[in-house]
Amino acid sequence: MVELILFYAFAALIIFSAVLLVTARNVFHGALYLASTLFGVAAIFALSGSFFLAGIQVLIYIGAVVVLLIFVINLTRQIAGSSAAQVNEAVVPALITSLLTITLIVLAVLKTDWATRIGKSVAQTEAMDNTAVIGTQLLTNFAIPFEVVSVLLLAALIGAIAIVSRDKEAGK
Amino acid sequence: MITLAHYVILSAILFGIGIFGVLTRRNAIGILMSIELLFNAVNINMVAFSRFLTPDGAYGELFTIFIITVAAAESILGLAIILAIYRNRKVLNADEMNLMKW
Repeated sequence: MVELILFYAFAALIIFSAVLLVTARNVFHGALYLASTLFGVAAIFALSGSFFLAGIQVLIYIGAVVVLLIFVINLTRQIAGSSAAQVNEAVVPALITSLLTITLIVLAVLKTDWATRIGKSVAQTEAMDNTAVIGTQLLTNFAIPFEVVSVLLLAALIGAIAIVSRDKEAGK
Repeated sequence: MITLAHYVILSAILFGIGIFGVLTRRNAIGILMSIELLFNAVNINMVAFSRFLTPDGAYGELFTIFIITVAAAESILGLAIILAIYRNRKVLNADEMNLMKW
């Protein structure tokens, strides 16, 4: 019961701050609302027993991605700081599209008979800590994706430096 | 108790809000932030299905770790591109980046 109340509280936090994020007039405020949304998602992860992922979410998303976003917002302050119109003219079509998407998925979820599809797994309600399982899997079955993703991170790092670094010839 | 439907509906709502943000924001940084919302909606789905379908394998959690990594790389490169465009052309709104538009 406590779990359910916590779930609804964090779901409300997620949806509330996500709506504020997409409607914020100031991009800087939007970044702070994004941090709040991500914190709510981390709490949802913890509620479902993935404590490792909750930590990863806070460390990488809130600690790195949001800080990076705020850096870029501050670097582009002259334009980002102004409170000009932040939404384009496609608000009504976008609203229809997103509402249709939500309705479609929710209807499909409500019509599905989860109990027969999942079987006995549904009975397992205890949220267990599965950090050890994740660590074992990452170093045995998922060792190759693990290495590939590290190469991807290196490529992204080099690419970001190459894109942002000033051209010495152009600077003269 | 929290059922799988709770997680999936929460994720659907978050996904819809993210789609709305991607379609309506003018600021390129705002579009990137909305894309992060989409990633998080997918991650909630992954974790929930992993908990209910494969509680002893944690495959969904593993995929979520890879999604978070790729999302971090994506946002780094996106912000680098936005910064480069801003430095060269002083525009930040996605509808004004029309130099290559015919």
